[in-house]
Amino acid sequence: MAHHHVPRLEDTKTTLDGLGPRLFAVSALIGVIGLAATFGLGLSQGDGLRHFGFSYLINFAFFLSISLGAMFFMPIMYVTRASWNVVMRRLAEVTAAVMPLLAVLAIPVIIFAGQIYGWADPAVAGSHAMSHKAAYLSKNMFILRWVIYFCIWTGYSWFFWKTSVKQDSSGDVGLTRRLENYSGFALMICALSVAAASFDLLMSINPLWFSTMFGVYYWAGGFVTFWAVMTLFTMGLQNTGRMRGIVTPEHFHDYGKAMFAFTFFWGYIAFSQYMLYWYANIPEETHWFLIRSQNGWGMTGMVIIFATFMLPFAGLISRYAKRSRKMLAFWAFWIIVAQWINLYWVVMPQFSDSFVFSPMDVTAFFGIGGLWLAGITKLAMGNSLVPTGDPRLEESLRFENA
Amino acid sequence: MGANTKHGDLYGLLIEFESPSLLMAAVEKVRDEGFKKWDVHTPFPVHGMDDAMGIRGTNLPFLVLGGGLTGLGLATLMQWWMNAVDYKFVISGKPLFGLPAAVPVMFELTVLFSAFAAFFGMWILNGLPKLYHPLFTNRRFRRATQDRFYIVVEAADPRFKLEETRNFLASLGGSAVEEVNESAED
Repeated sequence: MAHHHVPRLEDTKTTLDGLGPRLFAVSALIGVIGLAATFGLGLSQGDGLRHFGFSYLINFAFFLSISLGAMFFMPIMYVTRASWNVVMRRLAEVTAAVMPLLAVLAIPVIIFAGQIYGWADPAVAGSHAMSHKAAYLSKNMFILRWVIYFCIWTGYSWFFWKTSVKQDSSGDVGLTRRLENYSGFALMICALSVAAASFDLLMSINPLWFSTMFGVYYWAGGFVTFWAVMTLFTMGLQNTGRMRGIVTPEHFHDYGKAMFAFTFFWGYIAFSQYMLYWYANIPEETHWFLIRSQNGWGMTGMVIIFATFMLPFAGLISRYAKRSRKMLAFWAFWIIVAQWINLYWVVMPQFSDSFVFSPMDVTAFFGIGGLWLAGITKLAMGNSLVPTGDPRLEESLRFENA
Repeated sequence: MGANTKHGDLYGLLIEFESPSLLMAAVEKVRDEGFKKWDVHTPFPVHGMDDAMGIRGTNLPFLVLGGGLTGLGLATLMQWWMNAVDYKFVISGKPLFGLPAAVPVMFELTVLFSAFAAFFGMWILNGLPKLYHPLFTNRRFRRATQDRFYIVVEAADPRFKLEETRNFLASLGGSAVEEVNESAED
């Protein structure tokens, strides 16, 4: 209250300025080298780039899920009229607005669909089990759906980002009202499109398997990773002298709460999906889990139970951990790695029945991740890192956990 | 509980303030004076009050953790004993004690016992239920739910000396210092 120091934007740096071009150049370079290395390693496998396709898919799905998390974050905050997050919201806006770049990065997935997806195999597509799915799971329909997904996602993320940037100069409260009005509808459309996209992107690698929970499973992983990435982005900017003092332990505490909550949410969803299939014990449903529970993939699954769920749950449960900068950074980093391992376990067993790991998986991570970060940097360069015209900014700066 | 022998029927001294900012400055002085048995009453939550009063974190989380682990252990033990020991019955070819099937009950009992520990632990730590409080006898204090802010220093505090403490409180800039008695005044 009165005797408390209220942080002011003037006291810190709120633009990328000199850092922007450097960060862009370095991450774009890492991205290009990473992708080139992945492609080279893929060619050297001599398997018609099949392994390359899978390595690429894991990392594309990973970074896409983070941007999709950011895309959900914005309408959730508007629809609830939340104020605490406003000071950090611009970072989420640019993380979502990088969607057109992700659309370009989706092209290799479409090109290599023949090597990745079971439905592209004529023997599978012609089988009796596929007779009702074959029309939906075909190359042309697949491409058409990805065009629709990216139109929706680009449209929404740019609408939220551009409107917010426009508010920086005008401070018009009407723009906030406008976004609030569109947020409910945005959430519904995005939820449906992300669920459908997760079926296309990951579930249809094995076209005979189906899970109605798969959409929320993919989303939950992406959403918890998004909070972890936002935590590290903000801390990274603060380490370069930006956004200091305005993003306080109070804000990080809430990011920690979100990571904690969605770590549990992910665990709840992942377990529910497993338990229902385990209990029903029907062969056409359990085969997906069967190949993932033997030949090294079972061990990977055990690692995932602890790494993505139990350990971060225990580690983030205390208020002290969420308010400690070092511990929060540690768990944010941990969650990012753990969720990546989870996607690896979802995708790779379809490539090989027994455990494989190739340098390509890592080079593709830096390849796609580098370009993704370069895209985000490019979008963040032109404007303030804080939505300066938002009517709730003042409230966000004064935010304290009760 | 019970009248303080040193000060007879006196429960403590109360001082009234008209705004949260006046109150906050005074609260920090009371804290720095080293009083232990004292409290602040406001019509609404005042941010930063915990720090100003020097209140340390509560032990409640540890009670909740204990409650949760008890629930988890109990649920595991109960299901294992029922299904795998006391009444063995094979259902659709599943193991007698299949962990996936047991997890929902383990989860629910963890939540239930955590909630019990949080709810009743909060009662115990706050000394609830409490049907009577000496402050209710003070007419002035009734405005604590409307538009006034109060600091109350209890006579049971080891540093409490009636005249000295009264003078100290009077120097804090409040609008009135009053004695509060254990028993009703009217």
